[in-house]
Amino acid sequence: MKKMSLRSVFVFFLLIFVFAGSLHAAPAPDLDDQTRAIATELRCVVCQNLSVADSPSEMAQQMRAIVREQLQAGKSPEQIKDFFVSKSGEWVLLKPKTSGFSALLWILPYVVLIVGIIAGLWFVRRWVAKKKSAQDTSTQSPVSQQVRTELMRHDIEQPDLEDSSTRALLLRERARLRNELTDLDFDFQSGKLSESDYAGLKQEIESKAAAIIQRLDSLPPKAVSKPAAASRSSARKAKAIAGQSQFRRWQIIAGGTFLMLFGLALGVMLTKSIRPRGSENDTMTGDFLTGTTPASSEVRAALNEGKQAFDKQDYPKAIDAFKKVLATDPNNPEAHSYMGFILIQAGHGDGALMAFDKALSQAPNFPMALWGKGTVLYQNKKDYAGARDIFERLLNLVPPGEERNEIVKVLAEIPADNAEKSRSPGQPKPTAAAGSSSAQISGKISIDPKLKATIDPNAALFIIARPAAGAGGPPLAVKKIDRPTFPLDYTLSQENVMMQGMPFTGKINLTVRLDKDGNPVTRTPGDLTGDYKKNPVEVGAKNVDVVIDQIMH
Amino acid sequence: MPWRRLAITLAIIAPILALLAYGFTRDSRYIVSPLIAKPATPFTITLYDGHKLMLDDLRGKAVFVNFWASWCLPCREEARDLETAWQKVKDKNMVFLGVALQDTDKNSLEFLKEFNVTYPNGKDESGKIAVDYGTWGIPESFFIDPQGRITYKHVGGIRAALVISKLEEAAKGVVSAQEGKGDYSAIR
Repeated sequence: MKKMSLRSVFVFFLLIFVFAGSLHAAPAPDLDDQTRAIATELRCVVCQNLSVADSPSEMAQQMRAIVREQLQAGKSPEQIKDFFVSKSGEWVLLKPKTSGFSALLWILPYVVLIVGIIAGLWFVRRWVAKKKSAQDTSTQSPVSQQVRTELMRHDIEQPDLEDSSTRALLLRERARLRNELTDLDFDFQSGKLSESDYAGLKQEIESKAAAIIQRLDSLPPKAVSKPAAASRSSARKAKAIAGQSQFRRWQIIAGGTFLMLFGLALGVMLTKSIRPRGSENDTMTGDFLTGTTPASSEVRAALNEGKQAFDKQDYPKAIDAFKKVLATDPNNPEAHSYMGFILIQAGHGDGALMAFDKALSQAPNFPMALWGKGTVLYQNKKDYAGARDIFERLLNLVPPGEERNEIVKVLAEIPADNAEKSRSPGQPKPTAAAGSSSAQISGKISIDPKLKATIDPNAALFIIARPAAGAGGPPLAVKKIDRPTFPLDYTLSQENVMMQGMPFTGKINLTVRLDKDGNPVTRTPGDLTGDYKKNPVEVGAKNVDVVIDQIMH
Repeated sequence: MPWRRLAITLAIIAPILALLAYGFTRDSRYIVSPLIAKPATPFTITLYDGHKLMLDDLRGKAVFVNFWASWCLPCREEARDLETAWQKVKDKNMVFLGVALQDTDKNSLEFLKEFNVTYPNGKDESGKIAVDYGTWGIPESFFIDPQGRITYKHVGGIRAALVISKLEEAAKGVVSAQEGKGDYSAIR
């Protein structure tokens, strides 16, 4: 019984162990972890610098779902990665493969490292050899040192090439040995000779030199003084040797300086050329490095400044800012477009059209410029067909939303071509806001006889109506007349209103300005102005006569 | 001696500079497709008119597959061109197929209505077709020959003339070595 009991206990524990073992022997790998592990190795095609695991994009989500699906289907991580490689190329792997061309990416850094170490060792060895040779020279045997010193002396008698005496022959031999020794030293220092070869050859030259010096010493001294030519040649040689080592030193300094400057220039230019991407397709580098439009921080700052000034209707400040942008980046479509809008505000339709065309020549689908050009064609030029074309082009570009609805609204407002053709060009377009002829102001503009002499023949006349109620702000309506002749009959009506949809009604203050440069926004000294003396005046009034009688200072 | 050294220095520096310059000239976002001259992955798509279309059923015809979305500006720019091209080739042995990506049905249908698109269009519901074609920037167009092989890929807006000429090449089985490129929007 006892035996049985022990056995049953043993079987019980065995069963528990086996059962528990069967539960835990092969734990099912967590699918989420596996998906994440693979996704971490894949590059997101949208974010590009993030892995599929980390990217929040919709595409990355879809890629993760595919990874998961394929894991469930029993595919191995390698097979799944191969699947993505077959669709997007090896680019999709954050860790490139170690085979084929990609292997270079793995091998090259090590190759560079090894080459670097070898080059470093070579330089160190050379440097040590140089040092050693210098030490050898200083610690060589006293006899050898004496021979070398004697041989290298420059103040001794120089050989005369025309002399054939024994002394002259010995002197010539001594000079030859000296050159040989100098060359040998140089070759050794530049690593061309092994140490043993150098020692052997040096000893050979030195023993020959010792014999020559000894024989020279045994000869009676020459009575005649050293020829001047020989002395000069000796000096030249000494200079040449000194010059050679000097040249080498300069070479190293120049090379080092060049590399340092190159590195500095590259560092500075690269950091300066890096900029935030202007759009999805923009590059992250600008300036001459990529030939793309520069978008330096100054230009961006000026552009922002201009936009802020424009929003606050501070047009002179906005113009200055946009001019600054265009001085640096003459093709900036945004700056051209804003300039166009300012010119519209000032009633200078032709200038505005030119500005928008400039913007569109750089970016043919720049929505802001298309909107501006459409507005000018519609409101200033009355070119309804042209305006319709432009607005339709814009409509194609703008996705559904508020802006799109606005374009649709404007398109609906533009009169049909045939309706326009039946109207004479001078006739104002019928509008809901002001359909009657009473919505206009007419009168005569004349000039003070005293100022007649100061009229610039190329000046443009601006007739400006500002709402009497509003202080400052853009004018309600502006009319520009180039090279006017006085007295001049004028009419200001709905068609001269600057902001689309604004009715030409109510009380206004009427002023005129004879502008020398024809630019309505800038006010230059010498421009002539005049006000309607009974300002404010109700729209609909006639005989609103203005005399130009003031000069701007 | 100095010339030799200069030559060695230049031999080291010049390739590094050349590599650097090459890097700057490239569009870092551009992903070169490995699919050119490979068989197009088959797929089945539910068209907006409710019918199902299988790519394999189009075998024997030159096929133009265009990935698009209503929110993508370059897609809007090319939409009229695609319809123009379709009108010119629809009677030939050629097929157009639009695949809308990452879009709502409402916006896609409005887009098709707005540009009077008459060729078949459907939605890539799960995004699998886009992954199968390695799509990363739209519009993206693939030209498939009658044997079902991809002959040309164009990332970004495409003009009608190019669509027609590349379809004619596809009909003859001519593979273009280079991919085409226009303005594109990154997918989401």
